[in-house]
Amino acid sequence: MQLTLVPERDRLTIHVDEKRLDAAIATAFKDQVRSLIDNGGPTVTLDLGGVEFMDSSGLGAVIAIFKAMPEGRKLELTGLTPNVERVFQLTRMDTVLTIRRPAQASPRDQARGAC
Amino acid sequence: MNAEPGPERKRLRQVPPGRHPMLHRIFRADPLTVREALGYLRERFDGSAAEDVIAKVELALAEVLNNICEHGCQRDAERLGGRVHTPLIHLCVARHTGGIACAITDDGQPLPPACLDPKTLPYILPDPPDEDIIAMLPEGGFGWYMIQDLTASLSYFREGRRNFLAFIVPVTEPLIHESALAGEG
Repeated sequence: MQLTLVPERDRLTIHVDEKRLDAAIATAFKDQVRSLIDNGGPTVTLDLGGVEFMDSSGLGAVIAIFKAMPEGRKLELTGLTPNVERVFQLTRMDTVLTIRRPAQASPRDQARGAC
Repeated sequence: MNAEPGPERKRLRQVPPGRHPMLHRIFRADPLTVREALGYLRERFDGSAAEDVIAKVELALAEVLNNICEHGCQRDAERLGGRVHTPLIHLCVARHTGGIACAITDDGQPLPPACLDPKTLPYILPDPPDEDIIAMLPEGGFGWYMIQDLTASLSYFREGRRNFLAFIVPVTEPLIHESALAGEG
């Protein structure tokens, strides 16, 4: 499980350096991110920019991480690639979970995996 | 992008010009072998249809194969002396005119018929939005909903000890050689 932590003053960014968030690693991913969140700031950003494929096990792990956020702290997702975005849209989780998208340039103008 | 295969392996796996890709694989139900099979699917099928069509095939197959890994194992005292049987999966994928056809068979537990019933999402979004919605979200139950959304002509039967599941992911663009012929004319 490859994760990179970027702690800043008021936030913690966790880059997921795995190309596939699938059934093979969903449980390890969930457990590891949850343990890392314990020592972060008020806002945690989970950057999925490196994830090219996610199935419903990966989605379940992301939901579990949202549910495990301590009171008063926020979690947001960023860097959704097209195949990951598809899973959030199909399940309508994009309407419930906080997803931060780049302010400039609409997603279709951006090359896959950019930023 | 998947890891680049070696030149010899790549040559052997290349689809000859004018042919359509197909794939057949036999493997034990395990998340890592599933991952490997889907990597092979990408090697064989990338470029044979639009990227989002191949991505839908990959996602639908991942959901079906994960279900077999998770729910297919069976304990058959008479047959196996009480040992757990890990299903053996046969996967066949072929490009046809109307879409990419997938057939998956396994010798695991029978598929509960309710899985094929029309599915809704495993939760209802409250209107107006509820502050506590996150706490109530399910962490699973999305698989069959997604399979049904991504595929067409989903069908199933059980014969002897095997489950047979088939579906297509429709395509709208013509097959490679059809577009090449159109270009020649």
